[in-house]
Amino acid sequence: MKSHSYDTDRVGILGAGPFGVALGSMLAKGGRPVTIWSTTASVVNSINREHTFDRLPGLKLPEGLVAVTDLAELVAKARFLVLAVSSESACDRLQTLGAVADTSHIAVHAIGALAPERDRRISQLIAEETPILRTGVVAGPSMAADIAAGRTTSLVCASEFDEVTSESRRLLSVPSKMRLYRSRDVIGAELASALSGAYTIAIGLADGLDVGIGIRAVLVTRAISEMTCLGTALGGDAKTFSGLAGLGNLLVRSSVENDRISPSYQQGLDLVKGQATSKGEGPRAARAGLRLGRSLGLSLPILETVVRVLAGEVSASEAAALIFETVTEEE
Amino acid sequence: MDRRPVPEAKNRLATFNDERSSIVDDVTNRVVGGRLRLAEGSPDASLEYVLNEVAFAEIQRLQKSGGRENKKRLARWHDLAHSLGQMSEFDKRKELESIVRYHAQDIAGNFNPRVFRFATDVLPPALSFLLNPISGFREGVKALGAMAEQIRIEGPIDQIHRCCKRGTLVVTPTHSSNLDSIVLGFALNRVGLPPVTYGAGKNLFTNPFMSYFMENLGAYRVDRRMQFGLYKEVLKEYSTVLLERGYHSLFFPGGTRARSNKVEDKLKLGLLGTTVSAMANRSQAAGEDVPRIYIVPVTINYRLVLEAETLIADYLEETGRSRYIIEDDEFSRLGRIIEFARKTLAHEGAAVLRFGAPLDAFGNPVDAEGESLDNRGHVIDPRGYLRDASGAVVRDAQRDSVYTRVLGRKLSAAYRRDTVLMGTHIVARACLDVAHKRTGIGDILRLMRLSESALAVPVEDLVSAVGQLREAIINQPENGVLDVALKTLTSQEIVDQTLHYMSTYHAKRVLYQSGSHIRVGSMKLLYYYRNRCAHVRFNLDGKSEDAP
Repeated sequence: MKSHSYDTDRVGILGAGPFGVALGSMLAKGGRPVTIWSTTASVVNSINREHTFDRLPGLKLPEGLVAVTDLAELVAKARFLVLAVSSESACDRLQTLGAVADTSHIAVHAIGALAPERDRRISQLIAEETPILRTGVVAGPSMAADIAAGRTTSLVCASEFDEVTSESRRLLSVPSKMRLYRSRDVIGAELASALSGAYTIAIGLADGLDVGIGIRAVLVTRAISEMTCLGTALGGDAKTFSGLAGLGNLLVRSSVENDRISPSYQQGLDLVKGQATSKGEGPRAARAGLRLGRSLGLSLPILETVVRVLAGEVSASEAAALIFETVTEEE
Repeated sequence: MDRRPVPEAKNRLATFNDERSSIVDDVTNRVVGGRLRLAEGSPDASLEYVLNEVAFAEIQRLQKSGGRENKKRLARWHDLAHSLGQMSEFDKRKELESIVRYHAQDIAGNFNPRVFRFATDVLPPALSFLLNPISGFREGVKALGAMAEQIRIEGPIDQIHRCCKRGTLVVTPTHSSNLDSIVLGFALNRVGLPPVTYGAGKNLFTNPFMSYFMENLGAYRVDRRMQFGLYKEVLKEYSTVLLERGYHSLFFPGGTRARSNKVEDKLKLGLLGTTVSAMANRSQAAGEDVPRIYIVPVTINYRLVLEAETLIADYLEETGRSRYIIEDDEFSRLGRIIEFARKTLAHEGAAVLRFGAPLDAFGNPVDAEGESLDNRGHVIDPRGYLRDASGAVVRDAQRDSVYTRVLGRKLSAAYRRDTVLMGTHIVARACLDVAHKRTGIGDILRLMRLSESALAVPVEDLVSAVGQLREAIINQPENGVLDVALKTLTSQEIVDQTLHYMSTYHAKRVLYQSGSHIRVGSMKLLYYYRNRCAHVRFNLDGKSEDAP
């Protein structure tokens, strides 16, 4: 139970995936000290010695971005932590964090999915696995490739604690590169971020069937409406779902630019070709959302159809018909 | 459960009078100082605005009440409101200080340590007498020994003792009856824990029977008529100062007696929040070696509740818009209290006080030695929650309000977990579920309009439902514990015993047997007792497990 003397300006990033490395790179280029943690020694070596990251080819990493394999070293240096691991590994990583973090840390996560175990939100997982109480979520239409390319982008940081949103804005904002908005709706931001992956599959499927921009627009608006219905029933605030974490995420994930396609959108396209797998964060979010909705007695036709087509119960064209039958009945 | 000696050093109430004026000074200086700082930072927090709010609220209140004294007070507030515009900042400051000091003194009350010592000595025998139909000295002595059976005390008492030695206790019971504070005071005394200070509605001090005990058992006065923010601030600061100085305290987080008898889940967090404030102040002052503050959840479970008729009538009449202060209930009539005590509390196991596992001020569990634990059982330092980026312990009202909400959620869960479900609760829930199934009517107000014969329930159906509900309770430890007195009884015996209890005290029998059927004598009271286990997931014949 020792008290640390942190570098109060340092950001600690847990997880050297594309998002974590792109974020760390952008912050370090902006002059902020950043330590990033990876369990993979070769990734750490590549970041520290060659200043490269093979999943973001062409990106030259700044020297201010330092990678470590020892999480204790990171939490001793940084009070402010960003969790940027995959949802599948979140529980394991948080258990590791729980063993070394203390009560003075602040943790925000950037995981746009629910935890695989019991459909929990990641902030619930942080509370269960670590002693950290001051938590939050950053979410929104900021793709790793955009951040790495130095494009201007935005995120919303949601936390019950104003201290967390203030620290997030202070430490993660970079003038002309990254702007952070604040919110207190943690539940809404986490659900909007996770569920937008599920609805992205539906839009990918519609685009794969070439339904046209009119119907596509109908689908996007109905998706937001359905997501809002589910999210508010689970305790979120309606306006969060039409904000950066909801609509913002959905639009960016279901857009194609420079051959960059989000995994969930690609899964929707693949469903039309009969090639899709039911693995990944989008399909998992669809199944989790449907389970949660059913437990509340909600009717969620888009999610239900996505789950059915992923399970192979209906074909892509039947799925599209099912979605639009319901869509045209309700508004 | 042995009676333990209370370490004299821990019983701060015995020395309260020596500190009283310094406590009032502390409260006054802090509140006035805080308001002055706010006034410097924002025109909306100017002293004129603060004083005007007080004057406006008092004028509104006093205009509705009569009496010569109130007229004088009304004139005083009118004068203040009219002269505010012409007052200098110095005069406004003096006025603010005078108002704050007046309320701090009023809250602190007139504690008399000599009477306190007498009251603590006399309370157990007095309660014992109250609870027993005693006809002679021998029976009186015998009754003293039987107290342990009438008011049963459960929970991790040893752990609470260790926490008490290490820090300050904040006892947070559920609230069903105005007898709660007395019964709890008795229980603390019996398990050797020191007495606690607590905020009691000022209206209770008008009851001649109760005011004697309340005033002298550490109660401070909360005037719920005072609706302005400054009063609430004084009250919270008073509680904060007491906690900082190590006065073991008691809050009723439910705020007022549970009108519906449902286990409280919407808690009032105002006073509860003073635990985090006190913890921060202590940490700033004492550095590393700071005494801890421990929250001790307690459920007070009565087989029958003294004020049940008034409370449930109030709940049903206004459903959600309860009168906050009831001054004309059963509690205001001494004869009714004695009748209640002799007819109901005299029975074995009539009330069960169940102490829950202590929590720290952030809702974390603590180990046997009072160290805070995280969810995985690792020892943590709770002071870290109060540190800012520089590592310094700081006050942050917004942050602390979130911590208090977290604590509130943990307390609500503890209340459900530690609620002792007694025969009256189980039989009432089972009976209403059977009635609902037979009539197809779930709405309580519609059920009330049915005739007694339409509501009659076959005895065997009720016995079967009680058996199923008992199993459901045993399988849901997160929703309560079965009264130990029921564990060896058959379902039929639980029904028979409960029918007997339900006919002993209330003006109307709640339930009674007529031939092969159980009839409802008072649907309101049946609903009231049923509500205590309304949160248990249960549906007859196991079709589903939804709470109604």
